[in-house]
Formats: sequence, C-alpha cells, structure tokens
Amino acid sequence: MTVTPDQVESPGRLRGVGSLGRYVLLRFLLIFPTVLILVSMVFVVMRVAGDPITASMGGRLTAEQLEQRLTEAGYNRPILVQYLDYLGDLARGDFGRTTDNQAITEVLITYGTATLELAVYAGLLAMLIGIPLGRFAAYHRDRASDAVFRVLAILAYATPVFFAGLLLKLVFSVWLGWLPLGGRASTQTQISLGTIPGASGLLTVDALRTGRADLIGDVFSHLVLPAVALGLLTAGVFVRLVRTNMISTLSMPYVDAARSRGVRESRLVRTHAYRPALIPIVTVMGMQLALMLGGAILTETTFEWRGLGFELARYLAARDYVAVQGIVALLAVIVALTNFLVDVVAAFIDPRVRY
Amino acid sequence: MTSVRTFFVLAAASVLPLAACAEVAGEADGDTSDASTASGAQADSLTVGTTDVVTALDPAGSWDLGSAVLHGQIYRWLLTSEPGSTDPVPDVAETAEFTAPDEYTVTIRPDQKFANGNDLTASDVKFSFERLVGINDPNGPAQLLGDLKSIETPDDHTVVFLLNSDNNVLWPQILTSPAGYILDEESFPADNLATDAEIVEANAFGGQYAMTNYSANQHAVMTRNDLYDGLLGSAQTKDVTFQYYTDASNLKLDIEQGQVDVAYRTLGATAVADLANKDGVKVHLGPGAELRYFVFNAETAPYGSATDEPDPDKALAVRQAVADLVDREALAEDVYQGTYQPVYSVVPSALDGAVDSYLDAYGDGSGGPDAERAADRLSEAGVETPVTLNLQYNNDHYGESAADEYAMIKSQLEADGLFTVNVQSTVWSEYSNGYRNDEYPLYQLGWFTDYPDADNYLNLVYGSDAVESILGKANEDPTTNELIEQSRLETDAAARADLLGQAQDALADYLPIVPLLQGQDVIVARSNVQGVEETQDPSFRFRVGLLSKTD
Amino acid sequence: MATVVQEPRQRRGWTDLPVVWHVRHSAGLQRGMLIAGLVLVLGIVLVAVLAPFLAPYSHAQMSGAAGPFPRHAPPSGEHIWGTTVGGYDVFSRTLWGTRTALLTVLMAVSASLVLGVGLGLVSGFFGGPLDRVLVMLADAVYAFPALLLAIVVSIVISGGQSSYFGGVLSAAIAISVIFIPQFFRVVRAETLQVKAEPFVEAARVFGMPRTRILRRHVLRNTTRSIPLIITLNAAESILTLAALGFLGFGIDPTAAAEWGYDLNRAVADTSSGIWWTGVFPGSAIVLLVLGVTLVGESLTDISDPRLRRRRHRGRKKA
Repeated sequence: MTVTPDQVESPGRLRGVGSLGRYVLLRFLLIFPTVLILVSMVFVVMRVAGDPITASMGGRLTAEQLEQRLTEAGYNRPILVQYLDYLGDLARGDFGRTTDNQAITEVLITYGTATLELAVYAGLLAMLIGIPLGRFAAYHRDRASDAVFRVLAILAYATPVFFAGLLLKLVFSVWLGWLPLGGRASTQTQISLGTIPGASGLLTVDALRTGRADLIGDVFSHLVLPAVALGLLTAGVFVRLVRTNMISTLSMPYVDAARSRGVRESRLVRTHAYRPALIPIVTVMGMQLALMLGGAILTETTFEWRGLGFELARYLAARDYVAVQGIVALLAVIVALTNFLVDVVAAFIDPRVRY
Repeated sequence: MTSVRTFFVLAAASVLPLAACAEVAGEADGDTSDASTASGAQADSLTVGTTDVVTALDPAGSWDLGSAVLHGQIYRWLLTSEPGSTDPVPDVAETAEFTAPDEYTVTIRPDQKFANGNDLTASDVKFSFERLVGINDPNGPAQLLGDLKSIETPDDHTVVFLLNSDNNVLWPQILTSPAGYILDEESFPADNLATDAEIVEANAFGGQYAMTNYSANQHAVMTRNDLYDGLLGSAQTKDVTFQYYTDASNLKLDIEQGQVDVAYRTLGATAVADLANKDGVKVHLGPGAELRYFVFNAETAPYGSATDEPDPDKALAVRQAVADLVDREALAEDVYQGTYQPVYSVVPSALDGAVDSYLDAYGDGSGGPDAERAADRLSEAGVETPVTLNLQYNNDHYGESAADEYAMIKSQLEADGLFTVNVQSTVWSEYSNGYRNDEYPLYQLGWFTDYPDADNYLNLVYGSDAVESILGKANEDPTTNELIEQSRLETDAAARADLLGQAQDALADYLPIVPLLQGQDVIVARSNVQGVEETQDPSFRFRVGLLSKTD
Repeated sequence: MATVVQEPRQRRGWTDLPVVWHVRHSAGLQRGMLIAGLVLVLGIVLVAVLAPFLAPYSHAQMSGAAGPFPRHAPPSGEHIWGTTVGGYDVFSRTLWGTRTALLTVLMAVSASLVLGVGLGLVSGFFGGPLDRVLVMLADAVYAFPALLLAIVVSIVISGGQSSYFGGVLSAAIAISVIFIPQFFRVVRAETLQVKAEPFVEAARVFGMPRTRILRRHVLRNTTRSIPLIITLNAAESILTLAALGFLGFGIDPTAAAEWGYDLNRAVADTSSGIWWTGVFPGSAIVLLVLGVTLVGESLTDISDPRLRRRRHRGRKKA
C-alpha cells in the first residue's frame, strides 16, 4: 500500500537550486487538469443519468409543463453550452442550487463542518491506535503478537463500516443502552448550541465553549460510536502501513550497519527506522483523509450523522444531480489539494522524487 | 374500537355553538388541574418524533403528508372538522354556505388574529387562495382548487368563492384540505414562496401553535399560540418539539427510552410489535388514511391494448384471477403484523360511503383467496397458464416493508401455478415517472387523503376530458366516471352515499386496480401521555394540541 | 485465481505458477496466513458451487412443507440462523449470497484485468501523447471517491431498477472503472522498465513485430505484482457490492441473495434486539474479504525480499 508519488510526469531536465520551486509550481498547475477532469466526469455521468427536474417533478407535471420548466432552467440547451456554463459558475465559486432551493455553497458549509468534525476525531483515534500498534508489530515481526495485530488490521479492512456500526449499535445502544444510536446530538442540545453566539457548527467545540456538562456529555456520547467505528477501521490501514514501512527501513543497509555495530533492536526501531518510515506514512494519511470523505456516505448514513455524506445519499436518492455535482466537485478539489500537498511534502523530504 | 366511543363523547361535548368554545376550553383546563393534583403536574413540554419529511413550511410549496402534519399545527383553516368527526364545521369562519349554486359565502369571525398580532380578515383569505393558485408550485396543492373561478370580498368579514361548477358538494371539504390554509398577507410574499427562515421570522401563525425555531427535517420547536381562538381551544401543552428522524430504528429506541414522548409515523411493523410488549409505552391504533394497492396498466398488462395479443376478455380474466388469489389477511398479519388492515374497496372502511365491493366479487367471498375460482376464470377465457406478470414496486417511498409485501404477493400468485411473477423495485425518482410513462405493466401505488371523503379516493380513477386520471386515460372507465360525476352534484347525503357505493362496485367490476391494505394510524406514546385517542379519528388529522403529559 | 495470471517467462512447470510458488517460498507465520487465506477463499468458492446442496431453502423461499416460515424467528432447528422480517431463511440467504459476491468478483476482475493490463502495456510501450492522456485520466479516476463512482455508475446502468444482472453488472463495472487505472499504472511502470532491457532491444533489432514483442517479451515480464492487485480488486468488488446493496442501489431479494441488502434490512431489526439477521450476512462479507486480503498480503510479503521472512532471523529476545 505504499504510495509512490509517480502521478507526476518527470518534468524533464530541471536542475539546480530552483528545482524544488519549479517542481512545486508544476505540481500545483497539475491540480487544475485533475479537478477539471473529475468535474467533467461527474457532469457527463450525471447528465447521462438525467436531469433533476424530470427526476423530481416528472410525475407531477404534464409533458408541456415539464418542457417549459426544463427550458426555463436551461436543461434543453446543447450539453456543451450547459457544460461551459457550469464550469464558468464553478470558477466564480457558484455551485448552483438544490431542487429544494438551497444554495449549494450553504449546504457545503453547513454539512461540511459535521463531516470535518467526525473525520478529525476518527483520524485522531486512528493515529493514536494505529501508529503504536504498527510499530509494535514491526518490532515483533513474525511472532505471534505480530500475526495477531496483522490479522486484526486486515479484519478492520475487511469489515464494512455499516456492519461495524450495526454491531456497535447492537451492543452499546440496544443491549447495554449506554450510547445513542445515531445523530450528532439530541434535539434539545442542538437547539441550545444553535443559539450560542458565533456558533462554529462543530458541536464539540461549541459545547465545550458553553462549559455546560450536560451539553458536552450529550455531544460526546453521540460522537463515540461513529468515531470509534470509523477510527478503528482506519487504524487497521495505519497498522499495516506503519508495519510495512518500518520493516522496509529496518532492512536498509544503514540499519544493518548500525545493527552490526551492536545497537539494540529496540533502539533501532525507535531511532533509525521510525522517523524515516513516517514519511510515506504521512503521505498515505493524507490520502486517507480523501478516502474518508469518499466513505463518509456510508459512515454518516449508518449513524445518521448529518454531514456531507449523509446529504449526498439523500440527494442521490432524490436524483438532485446539481447538488451531487456540487458536493462531488468540492470533494474533488479537496482530494486534488491533498494529493498536491502530499507530493510536495514527499518532494521536500526526498529529493529523488523531483526528477 | 374503544377509541370510537371516546370520539363520540368528545364530539358531543363540542357540538356546542361556537361561542361556547372558549368555555369548553376553560373547562378542559379545569379538568387537567384537577387531574394534576391527583397524578402529578402537567408537563410544559412534549416531544414528538417522526420519520416524515417536510418539503417546505410554506403551504403553497408542499403537498405531502409530512408537511401537512406540521402545517396542521401552525396554520388555520376557514373550516375544519371536530375531533371524532369528518364533517367540515366553521373555524375561522362564522358561517359558511352556498348562497347560489356556484357561490359559496363565508363570513369570518370578528377579532381573529395571527400570532404576530396581525388581524385575520377577508382580504387575508382572498390573498391566501389567490396566492396558491398564482404561484402554482409543482410541489404545491394548487390543483385542489381547480373549481375555483374567483374570490370576492364585499367587506372585511365576508368572502365569496365563485366556483366553476354548480353544487360542488366537495367544496367545504376542500377548504379543510392543505389548499385551505389562511395566511397573513402582510407576512407572505404574493408571487413566490417564502423561505422557512422568513416564515419563522414573521411569526404569522394562525394555528394552535407558533413556531419559534425550525431546522428543516431536524427539528421544529413550537410554542402555544395564545392568540389562537378557534374550534380546538387552547393547546394542552405549552411547548412542543417535532423531532425528525431518517432512521426509524433510532426513533424506536428513543421512544422506548423516553427521549421522545410520542412517535407519530412511521415505525416499522417489527418495532411496533416489539414496543407493544414494553413497559412505559403504549401503542395506539386508530383509523388510517393510507391505501396500498396495485394497478394494471390497461395497455401493457397481459392481453392489454398495446400488447402483441390484445384481448379485453382475457385481460379481464387475468385481472380477476389476480384479484382472486391475493390474500390480504396474510399481508396484513405476516408482513405488517396488524399495523395495516385488509381493504376491499378503494375507499378505507372508516369513511362514510365505503362499500366492500371486492369482498363478494373476488376470492372465496369472505376475504380469502380462491385458487379454483381463479383457475376457472382463466380457462373459461382461454388463457394459457402460467401467465407471466411483471410487477413493479417502490422501495423508498412506501416503506421498506414493501419489499416483503411484494415478495409475498409474488408467492401468493405463484402458489397454484397460474402465474409466473417477476418482481422488481425502482427508486421513487425513477418510479414516479416510470409508471406514468407506461413502463410497468403492473405496479404498486399508495394514496393518502387530502380531505376525509370517499370522493378523494375515488378521484384516483376519475378522469375527465380536461384532466385524465393519474392512472392514465386507458385505465378510465366511463361508467365509474359517470357515477363519480353524479355523486359530486348530489346534495342529499343518502343519495350521494348510494352513488358512491355504485361507483365502487363499478370500479370493482372493471378492476383497473387491486386495493390491498388500509393503514392504521399508529401512534406510540409514553404511558404518561394523554389525549392520543382524541386525535385518532377518521379525519386523519394529527392534532398535537390535544396531547398532554404528566410528569 | 492462478489461472488468469500469465506464467513467468521461462516455463518450468506448475510449481512456478504464482500463489503455488508463493506457498513453496514461504515459511512460518507467513505461510500460515497465506494458507489460511487460501482455505477461506476456496471454502467460500466451494460453498457457492455447492449452494444448491448445502442450503436448505432457496434464496427467496418464504414457506416450506409445514406452511409459511415465521418472520423474525430466532435461530432454531428449523432455521439454524433464524429468519428475516420477510420470512426468509438467513442461513440459506447467506449461503446463496456467496454466488452473487463471487460472480461480481469474477466479472470485475476479468474486466479490469484485460483492459488495465492492455492499456498499460500499450501506453508504456508506445509512449507519446496517448500515454500522457491515459496517465492523466488514470490519475483523475484514481482520485475519484470510489464508492461515489460506483453509485453513479449503478444509477446509469440499472436506471434505479433492482434486477439481478443489473445489480451485479453495475457493481462490477463500477469496480472495473476504479481498478483499470491501478492495473494500468503498475503494468505501465513495469513495461517502461522492461522496454529498456537488452533482450527487448535485441528483439527489436532482429525486426520482430511490435505486437509480438509486446506479447512474447513484455507482457510475460510485467506480471509480477498483478496477483496482488487482483486480490485488492476482488476485495474491493465484494465491499462495493455490499455497500451498494446497503445504500439501496442493490438487487431485489426475490431476484438474488445479496449480503448488503440483507444488512440494510437488518438495521431496522437491531433496535428490537434482533441480531441474527445482520450478524450472519455481515460476517460472510468479512470472512470473504478477509480470506482474499490474507492471500494478497502474504503474496506481497513473500514477493518482496525485504518483507519475506528470513529463516535465520526471528529467534530474538522478547
């Protein structure tokens, strides 16, 4: 699963002091075609699937009324014109409106915070669990404890989040009754938090700001199951990643040299292997964020967590293609930016990447 | 059926002249304070959980059950029905009657106000109806007002509706429908829909409650509207919150654990059956408005007019054989665990004029299936068996149990080797177009009422020259249409009921649809919630203002 | 799986086939993991083949000799894993579900393998503007959230219908779209390397046709990491099919048994404490993906000399 940043075509004969700068610039410019291709793909695929007006109102309007609405909304124009129009709007930061007449930028902001909140907690959990366990497994490689962690990590990969969610809910919500089944907070808490001045939309932050124990408890008790489900599954990826990369570095000649000088294995792991191994780990973690966003649709549906993924599922079911396009375009931008940052970090650390 | 008795008592109490209404409400308050000394104080707040979806707060932009339930708490009608009855009686109106065959005159009670203090006058009424028709939002109920020609307001307290047809006996019912809410002309824009935020801001609510905080499909927080002076009296509980769920299992657990006080629409059959055995909650079953049925497309169903082998007689025999084989009792009990009941007409049995036309005509004559009868019909008509049926249903609009319902129908029809059934589901956004475009030879549909009258269900199959039936022109039956038209002009109640009965019989003979089940109104409430039975009546209006809770 | 993989250049018998070679060159825990994975996968394949004999009922059967099945019946002698809300036998549906899952895997893997390897070879060998365009496209698709693509593809392909073939096909196509770039990238990179090898150069000098060079020399030498990607591809196919079913873009229960759909329906059961409708189909997904991934992981380890277990090491202090 090691990621080689080979997305970049060799920029050719770049030499000298400015090469990192030129690489970064070239790599940055490459974001635009990537995003463009993604957005175009969504646009084409969505238009093949149909138009939002027929999907939402076809059953209620006569053919003529439908035709009139399609014309009004511009869906009867040549597809190329619509496409260029859409790109123009996107470039101006206008994502369009949903069929229930909300500005999609509003939707992105409102629900994006919810998705971000879950991703941050799940990511933290994954790192806190995944990195130490991966280190441990690498240190004890090929022994029973290593095998156990590896199998656990593969199990985490093999378990769909909705199945993990079902089991967690069954045990902790239904049988034990400790934690709520879903949602970001109970209604009363949401109302209270919605009225505090300068509410950020990040419920844990807002609850902590009020300092009220009941609100904090309510918000965090809702967060536990989704964060644990998503966090544990992601931790599995991290365990495998850290282990593989550390074992690779542990068999590098310079580590062997240190080993032959009599440096103890535990010290080798700690000082020689750990830091170099972290580089690919960091890059993959960046990718993992992007993956989390893509997988948000499952996690959020499972736990009724009203974020972008949850809304996306709703808009997909309602065939609101404009809204889907908007959300996917945002995801595309985030993914492309993440990949860019990851590549730049990699290039900064390892000069070979630049050539 | 204990609930029916409760209705009767309540109806008797409130069939007092309207002037006495305030007094009745006063008495009710007295009652509860008596009760409170006996069994704990009455709580100030009540939470209702639902999986319904609200399209918009603006009544001109929504015509669906989820929106209607919420609107019913915060807006007011000229006419409404009393708890326990389906007859329209004056609410904002003082009197309401036909003053000429095409002229319906309503006088408005003096000193009626919206929650923001604005006066509710004749011009608000005119504004509300003209706005609805003018905006004509495709999600809105404007087509219910098809018979409205124009509105005149001779003075501040009088509204005259001029209608296209004469003696439209349904007009009073239409005034109680989602097309009949009275809005404040100073608060709502005349030409376009108001946003949810604008509506909450303007506080122009006429119903028992005024909304104070609203987040679409998350929560609606309402507080008692003290300026409400209508038929239902002051709301029992001061603060009410509607909490919207997307996942019914979350709602189920929350009602079980007491996070919400009332679960109104829609818990799955499994959840209801499970809750019925739990302490602390009570399952209330009342008459319901929902009808589940399936339709034969007259053109594409076996031997239909657009098939390779069109043959009206064989087509009818196939439809009859299907109707003979359907076992509604099994569907109601096994799939829906009694939360639905068998129905033998397109009109739910709780409504006046409902006749069990399908009961005698099909199956064993007492509601059960009859395979022999079906086989005879097919062989008499010379139909080769097994007949292949392609049956389409929807999996995200009529509840997830639809999959089980149609799997069972498949096995019922196939049991005796007369039919081979392919069952497929389609998501609603495709489905709602697909069935109109004749894509499905047999397909599932459901129906909810706009106003509690048999006509609203028969209207399903009714088509005129101007507007064809929603089941398509080819599925219309001239005899049924004729009978429905006659019933609409019949002012004598008994004669009208007779015509409605004949229309149902004619429909059963022609058999374009097979009605399967009628919904029951399932409300699960904590045991300390009172008043649930009072809101469960054949008018199918959920009135949260009748509910109260003791701590 | 071994059958779809090209043999190494010098044919020396069946023991040199990938996977077989891997088993022979592994030891200890690595061998254990590989064999465990193989056993799981082969076991499930066997279940799929023998489903008509193993499953007591058909996938959509709702009644038996003793009348209609009870609904939501807990596990018992009659229904060893209980019944669902629709009255289906959970055990039978879980067994039949292996067929749906494996069919999807088969279709997805063969489609992405053929197209991905073909495009990668051509792109890497010939280079030029076509290569650049393909690389850019592959990168863009690679960055696209996979599940989302699958949903959109399934909407387009099945038009919201729930037929058996439509459901399997949309999952398979969606997965192929995502995995073609992965095969493409790997094969292209290896082709670039092989192209520079002396023997390819020699063949070119001798005037061998380019298609023949591609087939004879390049293809055979670029297939080292393909078994690994195949296992990843297979695992993702299963997970995507399940996710589509769970989100309601799946296959009608009367058409076929599909685990994701069963889990979707099981969500409503959880709140009533009914566990058997979800736990069994969910575990089936986990076991199949686990088996495939164990095989893939072990293959990675064994192929990579740095990760391969060295017999002389490993007996160190605790």
